[in-house]
Amino acid sequence: MSSSSSSSASSKTLRGSVALVWRTLRSMRTALVLLLLIALAAVAGSLVPQAGVSDARIAAMFRDHPFRAELYKRIGLFDVYGSWWFTFLYTLLLVSLAACLLPRTRAMIRNLRARPAPARELDGMRHYAERTISVEPDRAIRRSRRVLRRRLFRVSKSNGDPSIAADKGLAREIGSLMFHWSFFLLLIGIVYGKGTGFTGQAVIVEGGTWTEAHANYDGVIREGSFFNEDHSGVQIHVDSFTATYRPTGQPSDFVTHAELLDPQGNIVKTVDIRVNHPAEIDGVKFFQFGYGWAPVIEVRQDGKLIASGPVVCQQKPPPAGASPLQLPWDCVVKLPSLEPQVGIRFSLWPDSRGLLGLLQTGQAMPMFDVYQPVMTYTAYRGDLLADLPQGLNQLNTAAMKKWTSGTVGAGQTVDLGGGLTVSFPDLKQYTVLEVARDRGLWIVLLAAILVLVGLLPALYSSRRKIWVRAEPNGAGTVLKVGGFALQRTSQFEEEFAKLVDELARASEEKVGAS
Amino acid sequence: MNTLQLSRLSTDAFNAALFAYIAAMLGYFHFLAFGRKAVWRVASLVAYAGLAAHIGSVVARGFAAGRVPWGNMYEYSSLLSLLVVGGYLLIVEAGFKVKSLGGFALAFSVLTMAIAVTFLYVGPAPLVPALNSYWIKIHVVAAIAGSSLFALGGGVLTILYLVQDRRERSEAAAPPPIMGGSTDVDAPPHFEAGADEPVGATTSRRGLLPPAAVLDRMAYRTIAFAFPIWTFAVIAGAIWAENAWGRYWGWDPKETWSFITWVIYAGYLHARATSGWKGRRAAVIALVGFVSLLVTYYAVNLWIVGLHSYKGF
Ligand code: HEM
Repeated sequence: MSSSSSSSASSKTLRGSVALVWRTLRSMRTALVLLLLIALAAVAGSLVPQAGVSDARIAAMFRDHPFRAELYKRIGLFDVYGSWWFTFLYTLLLVSLAACLLPRTRAMIRNLRARPAPARELDGMRHYAERTISVEPDRAIRRSRRVLRRRLFRVSKSNGDPSIAADKGLAREIGSLMFHWSFFLLLIGIVYGKGTGFTGQAVIVEGGTWTEAHANYDGVIREGSFFNEDHSGVQIHVDSFTATYRPTGQPSDFVTHAELLDPQGNIVKTVDIRVNHPAEIDGVKFFQFGYGWAPVIEVRQDGKLIASGPVVCQQKPPPAGASPLQLPWDCVVKLPSLEPQVGIRFSLWPDSRGLLGLLQTGQAMPMFDVYQPVMTYTAYRGDLLADLPQGLNQLNTAAMKKWTSGTVGAGQTVDLGGGLTVSFPDLKQYTVLEVARDRGLWIVLLAAILVLVGLLPALYSSRRKIWVRAEPNGAGTVLKVGGFALQRTSQFEEEFAKLVDELARASEEKVGAS
Repeated sequence: MNTLQLSRLSTDAFNAALFAYIAAMLGYFHFLAFGRKAVWRVASLVAYAGLAAHIGSVVARGFAAGRVPWGNMYEYSSLLSLLVVGGYLLIVEAGFKVKSLGGFALAFSVLTMAIAVTFLYVGPAPLVPALNSYWIKIHVVAAIAGSSLFALGGGVLTILYLVQDRRERSEAAAPPPIMGGSTDVDAPPHFEAGADEPVGATTSRRGLLPPAAVLDRMAYRTIAFAFPIWTFAVIAGAIWAENAWGRYWGWDPKETWSFITWVIYAGYLHARATSGWKGRRAAVIALVGFVSLLVTYYAVNLWIVGLHSYKGF
């Protein structure tokens, strides 16, 4: 066998296999299987804890079942929706979708340009009827044409023949195409928006001003892969924060009262940011996300101020059955400049009756509002181990010794000994805002609307065709009508019968005769 | 009337509706078994009465809480069963003119309501801030309407279709039971003997449940009706999530499971258009979708924890 013929044979098999892949992608069965596989992958994603949503559960799994956790991690089960195989699945689905849609769209355009084609044999059709009427064929055809047009059928051009071809229900295919194509638009919107956008959290104490810039976010900030550091520089000044509760302890409202400022620092607007009511400036949106207490704490060494300012306190998740309103707020102040180093743990009770209740009855009373706030503290001396990574409100006491403890009320100052004093002059709140920019939102919304608008005709309209032929019969005419429907055939039966009656009636009507 | 009285009225009406549904369900099953039309008429009437009481219960609950009456699992369940019964009476009975399926739709509602009063009841209370949004009200209505239609189409009608289809197949496979002297030695003995019941009873019972092809079409129509509503519910939910948390999609369990349900029913609609997948295979997909719907509805709210329990923020 010569080399040329073998290479042509292999190119033939190559072309053959490409054609096979293409044909497979175009088949409904592939689309069906891919859809079900994606559903299955999503099930896995909901059963296995996902990174970014349930990090604590993932950590627990690494501790308790290290082997299984490692396996899960390797195959991407902790990040299903970002895993290569999930991406592969939906890419394949989209390729398959394009492979389906291209020929369908081409056929649709051809169909839209053309007119309904005439048929030869009417009496072999699924629906067929004849009526004998007393007008001549031309007139019957003219009248029938008008009836069909009024019924929103697309009608063939008159070409002198006493016959009509008509069809209706193109909306089904158009809607279906629109619906399916919209998924590409959806993808574009998602990729563009997420790719050029960012989300993160801002922690702002009452009276503080926060500037939208990379360095100012609290914790992780997610920036898209096409994001080119164009943070907006807009600012937000928080005047105050209000949380209100019902007597049952159920929260009723959380509001951040704030001003939004442009990058130059000019006030643009005053806003109240609530849950479900974000504020926006320059495409950057601020969402109410959380809040907490920030006592102002001042530490003095021999009368000299060595640390001062509001300290952001956090709450542990409440045990089952308890309300977060019953728990104190914990925070830490570290004094690395002292020798030996000092770390102080604080527990804040915004309403001192909460602490009192706990001491007297073992059950803390819910604290709805500020009432004579008080902090308990425990101070440690030793090495803060500042080189080790630790969170904002974590104190590593491995190399420290407990020194002293006590309580300090609002407006009070306590002496820790060694010339060190701690004062608690003021209590503020802080608000946690989710900050996000997504420029693709409107594209996503548009795609969603198109999906919905396309879906309705795709599901509920049906394609049907009608042919009418008028044959002379003495002085009158035999009106022959044939038709069929591609969907909803049982409904069409009724429609067809009515239509035939109407065609016959309209042809014979006297009024409005031309 | 004050809040307490309204709340009591709502509970009483709920119980009245539940008992009416149970009675109507028994009546419908009696009709299915014995074909007495008078029984059906009474059952249908009782179901309508129950529906009226149920509507009263939901409305009173709304006034008692001073907001729309769909703010927690108890209320979702109540509304869901209301819509299943209403959907059955208006779509299946009045629309499709099928009488024999009431027992099944009512059984679903009775079960849902029983679970709701036993495990999910909470007193009427205002909404927590996160749920206090225009979009969530729209979202929940659409989700419940979609769920009830999926439950009817993907659950009740599909199960009946599978049952009926199996029966028709086995009947088609077996020789006709009445013809004596059948030569087919493979036929199961009870068919040859004419079984243990008179022939007339068999045929009349068979006649009550619509033929498999009709059930199949009804299931398809109902699911095709539910699908865009569910699509809209998912979109409205995404709009709400964007408003509340700054992202329209975060793969939290609730979102994930409503997506799964949606994809499975999209798969079902495709299966109907795929040769070799029509009929029973498509019906199995619809059933899987129904299971997914139940997970979306119960398991996610009660057991699978996500970023946001719908309490507090
Ligand atoms: C993004 C994933 C997809 C979704 C969510 C989806 C969803 C749907 C839905 C809901 C329908 C019923 C509405 C209608 O009749 O137009 C449908 C129909 C259809 N889909 Fe898809 N589809 C997807 C992908 C595909 C793919 C990849 C193909 C190509 C194989 C395809 C081909 C079709 C066809 C031909 C119909 C019309 C069936 C009929 O006339 O009954 N779809 N699709």
